[in-house]
This record gives sequence, structure tokens and C-alpha cells, in this order.
Amino acid sequence: MKIDSKLYVDYLQNAYQLIHENEKYVTDLDLATGDGDHWSNLNKGFAALVAMEDELRSMPLDQMFMKIGMTMMATIGGSSGVLYGGAYMAASKTLKGKDHMEAADLQLVLAAMLKDIQSRGKAERGFKTMIDALAPAVDAFKEGLDQGLSDHELLAQVKEASLEGAEATKTMEAVRGRATYQADKGVGHLDPGAVTMSYQISTLCDTIAKTIE
Amino acid sequence: MKKIINDPDLVVSETLQGLALANPDVEYIPGVEVIARKEKTGNVGIVSGGGSGHEPAHAGYVGKGMLDAAVAGNMFSSPSPDRIIEGIRHANSGKGVLLVIKNYSGDIMNFEMAEEIAKMEGIEVDHVVVRDDVAVEDSTYSTGRRGIAGTVYVHKIAGAMAATGASLAEVKRAAEKAIAEIRSMGMAMKACTLPAVGHPNFELAEDEIEIGMGIHGEPGVERCSIQTAAELAKTLTDHIFADYNYDNSEVALLVNGLGATPIMELYILNKEVHKILEARGIKVAHNLVGNYMTAIDMAGASVTLMKLDDELKKLLLAPCHTPGLCVGD
Repeated sequence: MKIDSKLYVDYLQNAYQLIHENEKYVTDLDLATGDGDHWSNLNKGFAALVAMEDELRSMPLDQMFMKIGMTMMATIGGSSGVLYGGAYMAASKTLKGKDHMEAADLQLVLAAMLKDIQSRGKAERGFKTMIDALAPAVDAFKEGLDQGLSDHELLAQVKEASLEGAEATKTMEAVRGRATYQADKGVGHLDPGAVTMSYQISTLCDTIAKTIE
Repeated sequence: MKKIINDPDLVVSETLQGLALANPDVEYIPGVEVIARKEKTGNVGIVSGGGSGHEPAHAGYVGKGMLDAAVAGNMFSSPSPDRIIEGIRHANSGKGVLLVIKNYSGDIMNFEMAEEIAKMEGIEVDHVVVRDDVAVEDSTYSTGRRGIAGTVYVHKIAGAMAATGASLAEVKRAAEKAIAEIRSMGMAMKACTLPAVGHPNFELAEDEIEIGMGIHGEPGVERCSIQTAAELAKTLTDHIFADYNYDNSEVALLVNGLGATPIMELYILNKEVHKILEARGIKVAHNLVGNYMTAIDMAGASVTLMKLDDELKKLLLAPCHTPGLCVGD
């Protein structure tokens, strides 16, 4: 696979579309345990990225990731904004001098994002957060690379791991975020942040898969 | 909902515009929602900020002897790093900038990120975290104690230290010393209403109060029936004394209103707190009563104590002039 700035912006557009279509679903999830603003904040962030697509497409990968990070921080706001923003800025550092990503580069990008979100948010997997959709995808990506899977198999495995990870938050007790204030710690409810993370990872996989013969 | 507003989405910017009009010493920087001192002091800059809804915190404490810039987030939501960096740039006179952060995970993440970016720009930045609320205990999984009304004292001490021309490390040391001596405990009698939501964020029965409730309506330690001012003073100070020994010391006392409690009632609470302090041999060197750290229109109050030594007392009584607090000449 070969992912350049242009293809990554295609992904951002597709992710924005999926997020945008799921306003009610995500907001309802969030209202069950949180304050209901996750969808609108994330949607605002992706809308801002899509609005600057021409600029992003023309940038080198590392600068584009930095720009995406700064934009997400400023537009999403709150904790999610700085977590996504920090993740993109951390990923940017792995992309210096590269005009495109191969599969292994993308794995490193996702791993750098995971590491930054964990350290900044002081959260681990199993805390019922976006990490629970990202960490299994990073692992599945690494395993797939080691196993020498084809690009199609690899992307399918990463996507599946992310979706399963989001689904698994349903039975978890929250230890971060507003759901921790609920008596049941959100048990029985999907974590909206994990769901929207799985939207992004699955869309990324789908978008790349379409470019591979 | 009955509020004096034009549009819920414009509440933060219009608040700061109005504040800037009332204070000729500051300027409002639109878009990033920063209030900054016009005068460059040549000293260490002090920056604070956080979600809006706690006025006069923090923009009301920008001025001589306290903050050099305050950064406002949306209602009860941390400002993003791009806004905070703007505050840091305005506050920087070349000697570095100290960030005073209330201990909420969103604030910590956003201010730390802003600090990282400002350092990349070559500005010397450090921070302190205020965790004065004894209601919520430290735990592995929570964000630890919340920062509430005691933050006002940290602004005062850090600002006074910076005004002496001290270095960033010295200003940070004084602020951390103050933080170590400050404890607060609050209670709520009525929920607050976010302008964009339009209805109260929780329900308390007519005769019910919540001890230890946070300044965003986060759960406290217990719900109970309404108490007399004397009983409330005892309940709140008992929690403070259970955490830190103030006996036979000299203190600063802040009896803070959450926004919708009449100042009259705060004075009554203040009188009762004095009685309790006196019985413990605690001398009040400085006393503030009023709305210093609010929660929009929540009814209720908090009590804050800061134990003083010679250094903290001198810094506390040093002159400051801001819309939210004036001390000395």
C-alpha cells in the first residue's frame, strides 16, 4: 500500500461523512453516560479538516499531520481535542522526510498515536475509552505485518480488531471520563469515544483498501 | 431559563468584552478568548484559565499584582492549547511564564500541551496545579482533588511574588508553598443552568443540600437536609480540619459564594466560621467574603483556609488591583 497526503485527505472526507451520518446514534450513546457533546465536538473537528482539504493535500505528510493536530485541538476542544491533537502531532514526528506511507509506516503512526493518547490521558486499555478501539488495531496491525499478510488481509484484520475493541467497551467499567460519575460506571453502554475511534480506523482501512488492486 | 444573554453561543466572548470595557488596564483578544494586561511588567508572567462560568475567575483577576493573562474556555470546558499559547505569549515579558492550573483532566492536558508548544517557541514556561478541594479524595483512577476557590489565593501569591522581580523558579516555589497550605470545602443548595442547555444540571429537593459538590455540579460526599449557618460552618470546617491541622496558626479565610447565594448569607456563614476558628486558636489575618469562584447560578458556598507564614502573609498583603480582588493601596 502507498498512502500519500492526498489519499489521507480522502480518508478524512470519508470519516467525516460517516461521523456526520451518525449524529443521533453517537449522541444518544453519549447522553447515556456523559454530557452529550462528543459527537458535535468531533464533527466540528472533522468539518474543519474537510474545509481545508486543498491546503492539506498539498502538504508533506509530516506537516499535514501537524496541521491536522493543531486544527483538531482548536476545533474539537476539551479533552478529546487535545488527545487527538497530541496524537497527530506525535505521529507527525514519525513521518519526517517521507512523501508517502507504506504499511509499516502506518503501523508506526498508529502506535505513536496510541502511546501519546495513553500518556497524555494517563489511561490504559480497559478503561472504557477511545484507547480500547485503537490499541487492538495497533496490535492486529503489528501481528499482521509479522505474519506477512497481504494488504487486503492486513487492513481487514486491523478494521475488525478496532470494531471488536469498541464493542468490548460495553461490558467495561469506566475509569476515565464522565461515565465514572455514574453509579454503574457505564456498564452496559458502549463508550462513544471508542465507537468514533472505530469509525475512523475502519474508514481508514476501507479507504486504503479501495486503492489496492 | 431566565438569563441576561443575547445568544448562548456568544456568552463567553460577550462576558469578556464586557469585562474589558470595565477594566481599562486589560485588553480582550477576540477568537482566542484571552484577557491580558496591556502593560508589560518585565517580570515573570502569570497565566491562568479554565472553563467559563466561574466569574470573576479567571479574567477578573488579570491586573496589577495578580494575573498577566487569563484564558477562557467554553462553559465548564477547558480552553484549547491554541488559546492558552496566545495567553502565554501576551504574558511573557522575557522572564518566563507560570501557568496556574486547576486540577481537572481537561485543563491539565490542554495546559500541558500549550506549555510544550510554547517551549518549542522558546518561551520559558512552568506550571503549578491547584487541588484544594478536600471533598474528593485522591485515587488511582480519578483525577485527584479538584481545584476550586483556593485558586484565587494561588493567583494572589504567585502574582505578588512575580511583582518582586523573582525568577520563574522562585515564583513557582511560592505558588507551590501556598498550594500546600490551602484547603477548601463547599456545599450546594441549588443546581446551575448552562446557557446552552437551558435547564438545571441536577436536581436537589427543596430542603436538600449536597456537601462537597464540585463547581460544575459533580457529586460531593453526601446529600442531607438543610442546616443552620452554624451547623454548615461546622460541617465544612470539620472536613477541612480532618485533612489538615490549622490549630493555633494564622490564616487567610475566604468564604466564597457560588453565584446565587446572597452576600448576606455569606456574611452569616463567615461569622460562624470565625467562631469555630477562634475556638481552635486560629487567627484570621485576612478575610474575603463574596463571589470569587462561582458556578454560574449555583446556590451554595465554600470555605477556604490558607495557613500563613511570614512569606505568604507578606505576599498575600502585597498590593493588587484587579476587578475581582483589590488588596492594599
